[in-house]
Amino acid sequence: MQGAAFTRKQVRNLLNFIIRYGTWFLFVFYVLLSFVLLFSHNSYHHSVYLSSANMVVSSINGTASEITGYFHLRSINESLQASNAMLENEVLNLRHQIAEYQTKLSDTAENKNYDERFDYISATVINNSVRHPRNYFSINRGEADGVKRGMGVVDQNGITGIINVTGAHTSRVISLLNETQHFSVKIKGTEYIGSLSWKGGDPRIAYVEEVPRHAKFHAGDTIVTSGFSTTFPPEIPVGIVMNRVKGTDDNFFVLKIRLTSDFRALSTVRVIKDEYKPEIDSLKNFDYKPGK
Amino acid sequence: MNKEIIKFSFLFIVILLAQVLICNHIAIFNVAVPIIFIYFIIRLPISLGKGILFTLAFTMGLCVDIFADTLGVNALACTLLAAMKRPVFYAYIPKDDKTKYLTPSLSSLGVGIYCKYLITMVGLYCLMAFTIEYFNFAEVKEIVILAASSCLLTFVMLLAIDSLIIKKS
Repeated sequence: MQGAAFTRKQVRNLLNFIIRYGTWFLFVFYVLLSFVLLFSHNSYHHSVYLSSANMVVSSINGTASEITGYFHLRSINESLQASNAMLENEVLNLRHQIAEYQTKLSDTAENKNYDERFDYISATVINNSVRHPRNYFSINRGEADGVKRGMGVVDQNGITGIINVTGAHTSRVISLLNETQHFSVKIKGTEYIGSLSWKGGDPRIAYVEEVPRHAKFHAGDTIVTSGFSTTFPPEIPVGIVMNRVKGTDDNFFVLKIRLTSDFRALSTVRVIKDEYKPEIDSLKNFDYKPGK
Repeated sequence: MNKEIIKFSFLFIVILLAQVLICNHIAIFNVAVPIIFIYFIIRLPISLGKGILFTLAFTMGLCVDIFADTLGVNALACTLLAAMKRPVFYAYIPKDDKTKYLTPSLSSLGVGIYCKYLITMVGLYCLMAFTIEYFNFAEVKEIVILAASSCLLTFVMLLAIDSLIIKKS
């Protein structure tokens, strides 16, 4: 008879087998579940509940960071002062230049108000790690504050990461210290583009790969963002060139750089909102497809 | 029995919070990381059913993973460690009626055997966790350095926790 039921004995044997080895089935189940989590973790899409941006974890981390947040205030204050002094200098210089142009060319150099392309959302880091091969940190701003996946995150010293998962009031950021994440950068003052990546280990050191062989650089040159994406505006500092190291491809240089941001003492960051993003993204719909 | 359940629930929460809020942010010389939450798995009674042991270990690992954004790494390593708990325990102590209902601790096993059991468990865990996390045989040297230094630091910290508990009770 096709599809005949098992005999009672067979069923009993099967049940006995399951009961006897049930715990090992459970073990195999947990191991498989762990593997699923392990491999889904690397993909871009995953749920907010299993990340540090979920409600329970972020409220616990938020409370803890209110206490530990004081620890690095001194060094953060110093770097803020330095960055403030630099900005003040720049403002004075620019004012001076504007005044000069206005007297020289009074008809062409009007005081135009340009649209601001980039908007900033200020946030506090509530959880941070630097010791894993794939590091993330969480901030206390989420969808309700206008944070969206793919936005860039910077602190007073330079770039720090990209928004990866957003909750209502918290978000998780892929840190620059994440082996899977690459950033488009260039050597300041030139147009030589490279790809920034972190290779694990020291949280102060990263590498710029795929720099063309003919690029000119000196140790001490600044590496800045290229501005070729809607994630970061151009000319945001990233690091300082230390030296050239041997790469896998002879046609390209690899530069070892010292990162400007101190990832062990992240405190206040800004999320960058690009007002042109929808416009630039919509351009992708006009791809010219030859032969169609 | 109820007292034991309350004691271990309390241990679960306290050690989880200590791990994710304090120890996860410590990395001495950027290599040695204290992994104290496995103390919970190490201290669970030997007579505890395997199903409950695996479930508790997996849950503990998953909780740490969610906090540290290392999804799957500690969950897998904890489940594997739970499966090795009994074989490691009986490698140092004869399997008989007397040892069947033991709860591994400094006072029940004696310093020598407890230390051997503790360092084996911690060493196995560190090796598994870092291998799973890096998942790359090109980085064997890093994995060994990380595992060895973390194992040593964790071992010392767990002994310190043990001595604190003994003083209290």
